[in-house]
This record gives sequence, structure tokens and C-alpha cells, in this order.
Amino acid sequence: MKNFFQVKPLVLSSIFISLITIVSCSDDPEDPIVENEEEVITTLTYTLTPSEGGSAVVLTYQDLDGDGAGEPTITNGTLSAATVYSGVLTLLNETEDPAESITEEIDEEDDEHQFFFSSTITDLEVVYADTDGDGNPVGLATTLTTSAAGSGTLTITLRHEPEKSATGVASGDITSAGGETDISVTFTITVE
Amino acid sequence: MIAQRCDLKVLGRVQDSHSLDPIAFANVYFKEAHQGAVSDANGFFEIPVLCQGSYHVSVSHIGCQTRELYMTVKHDTTILLELEHHSQIMDELAVAASAIEEATTQEIMVMDAYEISQNADKNMANMLDDLAGVSTIKNGTNIAKPVVNGLYGDRLILLNNGVTQSGQQWGADHSPEIDPLAAGKITVIKGVSALAYQGSNLGSAILVSPPKIDSEPHFHGKVRYFFQSNGLGNGLNIRVQKHHQKFAWSLVGTAKKKGDSRGASYYLTNTGAVEGDFALQTEYNHNASLKSELFFSSFNAHLGVLRGAHIGNLTDLEEALARSEPFYTKDQFSYQIKSPYQKINHHLLKWNTAYLLNEDHKFDFTYAVQWDLRKEFDVRRSGRSVKPAMSLNQTSYFTEIKYKGYLSSDWEVSSGVQLNRKDNYNEPGTGILPLIPDYISFETGLFVMASKKSEQFSFELGGRYDYLDQRVATISRDVVKEIKRYYNYASNMGLAGGGNYLFSNGMNVSYNLGLASRNPGINERYSNGLHQGVSGIEEGNPDLVSEQSLKNTLALGGKINAKILYEILYYDQAIENYIFLNPQNEFRTTIRGTFPVFKYSQTRARILGWDLTSTFLFSDTFQSSLRFSYLKGTDTENNIPLIYLPSNNLFLNVKYQIPRVGQWDQMAFELYNKYVFEQKNILSDQDFRSPPEGYNLIGVKISGERQLGGNRLNIFLRIDNLFNVSYRDYLNRLRYFADDLGINVTMGLNLNF
Repeated sequence: MKNFFQVKPLVLSSIFISLITIVSCSDDPEDPIVENEEEVITTLTYTLTPSEGGSAVVLTYQDLDGDGAGEPTITNGTLSAATVYSGVLTLLNETEDPAESITEEIDEEDDEHQFFFSSTITDLEVVYADTDGDGNPVGLATTLTTSAAGSGTLTITLRHEPEKSATGVASGDITSAGGETDISVTFTITVE
Repeated sequence: MIAQRCDLKVLGRVQDSHSLDPIAFANVYFKEAHQGAVSDANGFFEIPVLCQGSYHVSVSHIGCQTRELYMTVKHDTTILLELEHHSQIMDELAVAASAIEEATTQEIMVMDAYEISQNADKNMANMLDDLAGVSTIKNGTNIAKPVVNGLYGDRLILLNNGVTQSGQQWGADHSPEIDPLAAGKITVIKGVSALAYQGSNLGSAILVSPPKIDSEPHFHGKVRYFFQSNGLGNGLNIRVQKHHQKFAWSLVGTAKKKGDSRGASYYLTNTGAVEGDFALQTEYNHNASLKSELFFSSFNAHLGVLRGAHIGNLTDLEEALARSEPFYTKDQFSYQIKSPYQKINHHLLKWNTAYLLNEDHKFDFTYAVQWDLRKEFDVRRSGRSVKPAMSLNQTSYFTEIKYKGYLSSDWEVSSGVQLNRKDNYNEPGTGILPLIPDYISFETGLFVMASKKSEQFSFELGGRYDYLDQRVATISRDVVKEIKRYYNYASNMGLAGGGNYLFSNGMNVSYNLGLASRNPGINERYSNGLHQGVSGIEEGNPDLVSEQSLKNTLALGGKINAKILYEILYYDQAIENYIFLNPQNEFRTTIRGTFPVFKYSQTRARILGWDLTSTFLFSDTFQSSLRFSYLKGTDTENNIPLIYLPSNNLFLNVKYQIPRVGQWDQMAFELYNKYVFEQKNILSDQDFRSPPEGYNLIGVKISGERQLGGNRLNIFLRIDNLFNVSYRDYLNRLRYFADDLGINVTMGLNLNF
């Protein structure tokens, strides 16, 4: 043992140094940087303006905590029977201050996005009123037509990277669209 | 000057290094003389006429690792050459001793350099997949984690060159960041408590060890190349080494590239992978009793993930489940890797000094630093796909001082102190709140083990204690984000004992009993967010307590009439406070739609099973092996099955060997059959989709060796899934979306120079 301690000061000092490195750093992690979640969509607004004048119906779905457990705030609406509405969708990220418009992002990448509309109300029809660069529908602008009175739901879905060329997708059928769902909201609607 | 004599004769015998049985049909070749001989039934061979000089000699035999040595012949010489069989059944203690230096009574399986080279196209976990009791959890074709007797991730220790692998092992979709082609040996310990190693574990361990640098004064090396038809993959692995008087070095590099894999009937779009690794190993012998080693390895990979598996909410998952072919499947092959993909870098720097006080006492010091960087890229809006959705940077510093010594000729004692500091940090700029928080942890551990050996009986007993201090900084998920800190302290204890008895008829019985505990993982406590892939919201539970395991293993092995070799391992593990992801009776409504919620919960679990490995030697040239693994896991508190455990499986092969055909020797033809049973031990409400049906895969392999000048060449051709069967595996997370791999032809070349 004597030889070991005499000849190998280098080894021993290295052992010592490495122990110090480990033990001396018994600190806490620094405050993590809270990421700016710029991609989050918190709010969807569907504004329906009657084509023959009158006040607009505004449907809103607001979910400020993203995937968190908090319940979303939903504003439903009442439509008139046998009426044509022009519909405009706007999307916001309200976790940022001021709120950021996601509508612009969708508009810029309109070939990679498409909204789908479905309703349980008989003869309530939503038709696309806009197209992307390839002539395929997007759904930021739509025409909604009601016929008879009734009540039910209206579901709006936004798909990212759907297969727009798949069967029925251009006419608003979601079945073969695929892609990732970025928005899926349901409103309770009364037509009277 | 003395005239060179050229009338020398070399006589020798080739034998098995463990059983000392003669090895017939072994090929012995003196390279510089271009002379060779084949051993007879008693293992004897003769080189009748040889000149004086120094020669490189290679000794090879089917089923053995080729041995290379360098010898000087001055007179007529008699030599004894020992080869190590890489059969999975060997005398247990002998294997243990050679595999991990410390002999153990716990169950061990070894994959040696030869077997690694014959499976060079596979990643580490897939390489081990055919061993009894070992399965893989996969996330498509490129990402696979080993599962040993039902344990994986944080419950299984992964030791890379003597240092516990420090990375993001908690993730079921995170492969071990290790290049198996840099290893000389991979050892699987199906144990009750891995006492000598730091890091959370509940018994089993996988040890990846680099090869020893041969004490060979010349520059030598190995080249391995493979091509695989499925994914049009190519791989090259080169190792060079030289041993000087006191200093030795070896350098190994691996490069691999593959494109989209293919299921039985369609391409698995975006499943390409690129990997580039290297390792430098140096050793310096100060004197007979002091030796230092410096090791650096670097693992770097880009792993593509099936595009069709990237989905949003529950509706998307249901749509994907209903399809026969995944969304985004292209009918063209491509090498391109787009989002989603993973980019992984792992570097290890290790310094080790061993000091031999005398023959009975050895001290060992190790210092190691690991850098682990993991970036995961998702499909995102507005060009954000180029930003990682998760970017983790982990650095760990490890120090170990070990002692091993003999108290008397048959009592061995070993002990050690280990310190580890881990700093886990989320690189900012992802635009997404991190799934795993930042944390710093310190772990201090101590172990003591004692073992007694005699020819018939061996016995071991040991204990381990670890103290963990963990400081965590999480971010709340409320509307107003706050930083919340947690301070965790945990004590992990391990205790194990076991004995092994060798009967006079060659039968070997061993029994082990072990206690182990594991503190909750960082993901189990604090993960929070959406899990792509299975579209569920995962929530950690900060109040989880440590898992406690009690495990029994009983192993029985032996030979029947020298024709049948068998080994059976039975294990029974009870885990108190078993942590698992529990599906909640809750669907969360968000603006993105509905998601199921999973919470980390605890229960009482029991995992029991048995593994059978057997070999039938019909003749010297014809043999067959059978392996079977059975496993059953139960949540004994609620009396329901444990989810996500391997299915039972059966592996059968027949091998026919031809000692020599023309220039070729060690020719072998192999046919194998792997049957994976349907996982029946699961209730229908425990998964989105019932487990896939059982499947049967058939494969063939032809291999041979020859002398090529002074070099030795090994070639193999292997066809997996010969009949292009369409199947899905229960433990492949992408089974919701796509088929598993179709037919694959692999061609491999191994050249020793």
C-alpha cells in the first residue's frame, strides 16, 4: 500500500477532484424558461351573417388551458329557418398578449389545412366559399343555408395535412381525409 | 547468421475452454505460411512442415468465436488451443466468470462478438430479441427497447462499458443509445437484484462490454459490412487495433443508413434511419499491478417514425384503427426522413484505473461523464416542424471506487461506493411546454457482496443502499403558468442471496432470492401532456412512492447423454406499489377534440414465468435448438391482467454444418421458426384495440468462412420472414397503425485482417 500512495499522487488527486465535482454541485436547477406556446389555438369564432341583412350570429368556443382539465367556454346560437348565411371562421391564440391570429397561419398554409362541417339538423348545409392555390376548398369562408326549423349540433373540424385529393374531401366529406385534428368543436344550434 | 530451419512440425489439440472436450473439424491456419489443418475427432491436428518464424494463427469452428493469436515457432512445437462455444447453454458458472468477471449464481445469457457480427443489421434490442425471456418494445422499425422477463425502461439496468447508461430510458419509444457493433459482448442477467450497479432496477440487467484489445503487436482489424433488402439499408463497421509494449489502442466506427421499411404489402413511409458512431479505447499498463483505461464513445442517430402514426385526437385514432393501410402511405421507396423523427446523440467518456495490491486484493476507480441529447420533431404548423417539439439535454457525472479481494481461497468479497450527479435540462425554443421537467439528482450508493465457491457448491450474499436527492422545477399547466419546485429524497435498498449446486451427473441447480426497490421515475411523477401515437393525455402523480420487489428465481440446467443440453429458469416476482399508466374513466374535452386521460397509479403486481432453452445434438454436424418463454403478469390488487407485457413465444431452429467444401469451411445451413402467441392475458377494456393474433415467422441462413490470403472472411445470407407474412406484434406501439416488417434479405461480410 505504501508504494501505491507514494507513486500515484496523480491518481489520488484525480479521484479527489472528481468527487469534488460531483458533491460540490448540490444545487437546484435554475428557473426553467416558460415556453411561449405560439402554436396553441384557444379560441374559434364562427360568425354567420345573413345575406339579406340582419344581425350576425356569433358562435364561440374558448379553451384557454389547452390540454388542461379546465372546461371550455362555449357560446351557442340560434339561426333563422330558410336563410342563407355567409360564414367566416377566425382562430386566436389567447395565451399570448395581445392575442395572436391563427387565422393568418392557416391562410398562409391553406393547402395544408381544411375545415369540415357536419350537422345533425336536417337540410342544414355548409358549402365552401374559398379555395387554396390548387383550387381545393379551405373553409375559412363558407356559406351556410338553413331550411326547416329544428335543433341539433354543428361540428367544425380542422385537419392539418389532410389528403385533399382523396375521394369526397373536396366536397366536405371527412371520411377519407386523414391528417391530424387541430380543432374539433361542437355547438348546439336551434333553427327557428 | 543461422540458416532458417524449415523442417519444423507443429502438433496441437483444439478443445472447448469450458468443458475441455475436444473440438473436431476446427480449422487451424498459419497465415504467413499459407498452411492449415483440420482437427480430427479427438481435436488433434498437425502442420507437418513449417519454417522457423513468427506466425499469425487463426482457429475457427462453427459455433465458436474465431480466435486469432500470434506465436513464434523455433523448434518442433506442441500447442493447446482453446475455443469458447457461443452456445446459449454452457456450464453456468464458467459463463458467469467469463461474462462479468464477478461470478454469480444468477441466470446469465451472453451474446458474443460472433453472434453480434451475424446480426450486424439489427439494433441492440432486436439483437437480443431471440434470447429466451428477452423481448422488445418497439415503436416501429427503428426504435426498440429490450424487455427482460417483463421488465424494461427504468426497471432494467443498462450498463455500457461498466457505466450505467444515463439517458431518457423512461420513454417506451426511446431506444438505448448504444452501438452494439462497438461491443465485444452483450450479457443479459436475469437476476433478482443487480447489486453492483447504480441506477434504478428491479433485478435484471443488460451489460454491453467492449472487446479486450488483443495482445498482438501488429496492426489488425475487422471489417463488417451488411446490406438489407427491406429498407435498402447498408452498414459498415470497421475496427482497428494495435498493442504496444505498455500502450494499446483500438478504434471502432459504424455507419448505417436505411430508407423506408416495408410491411408485407406496403411501404412504411418515413421509417428511414441514419446512424454514425465511433469509439476509441486506450489502455496503458504502468506496471504489472497498475493499469489505466481511457474510453470515449459517441452514438449519433436520426430515426424516422411512421408518418401515419402521427395523429391528433381520439377520433383520429379510431379512423387510423379502421384502416387497412396507414394514412400517408406512399407507393414509392424513399431514404428521406421527415417529421416525425428523433435525433439522438449520446457520448460517454470514461476513465478507469485498476490497481492490483497483490494477487488477492484489487482496487478499481472509475470516473465517467455522459452527455445525452434527445430532440424529437413533430409535424407542426407554419414551418415549426424544423423546431424540436422536445429537446432534452442530460449530463451525468459518475464516480466509482471498488474493491475486490479474497478472504481465503474460496471466499471472495467485493464492495464499492458510487456517486452520480445527473443534470436534466430542457433546451428552450421548442414552443411547447416540456413533457419532462428540468431536474438535478444526486445518487450515492454503497454495496457489499460476498461469495463462496467450491467445485460443487457456490453461494453468494450481498446488499446495496442508495440515497437519492432529487430537485425538480416543473411548470404548472394552469392558465397562468407558474414554476413549482419539488424536493424528493428516497432510499433504495437491495438485498440478494443465492446458491448453486452442481450434481455429479452434471446437473446444475441454482436458487436466488432478492429484494429491490425503485423510486418513482421523473416521468411517472411529473410528465404532463399529450402523448402523440396513442392520443392520450398522460398525467404524472407527484405523490407516488417507491416500488418494492421480491423476486425468486430457480434455474435448472444440464446434459442428457451428452446429446441434449437444457436449461429452465422459473421466476416469480411480486412488486408492491407497481407504477403503471392507468386509463381513467374520463375523457377530456378540449378545442382539439376528446382525449382519454391516463394517470400514473400504483398497485400490487406479480410477474411470473419460465424460460426454456435446449439444444439437441443429433450428430457433430446436425443440431436443433428450442426456446420457449412464458410470462404472466397480474394486478393482484384488482385481480386483472397487467398490460403491456410480452406474449409467450417459441423459437425453434435446425442447423446443419459442413466442415469443408472446396475453399470454404465452417459452412452452415440454418432454418428457424419463431412463433409469437396472441397475448390473451388482457381484458378487452384495457386497450383501444384487442391484441393482434399470434404469428409465425420462418427464416433461413447460410454462412461460410474461407481464408483470403492472410485474412479470414466470413459471409452470411439471412432471409427473415421468408413467406412475407403480414403480422402485428402486441409490443409494437405502431400496431394500431401498420403491419410489422415483411420479408428481408440480409447479406453480411466479416473480414479479419
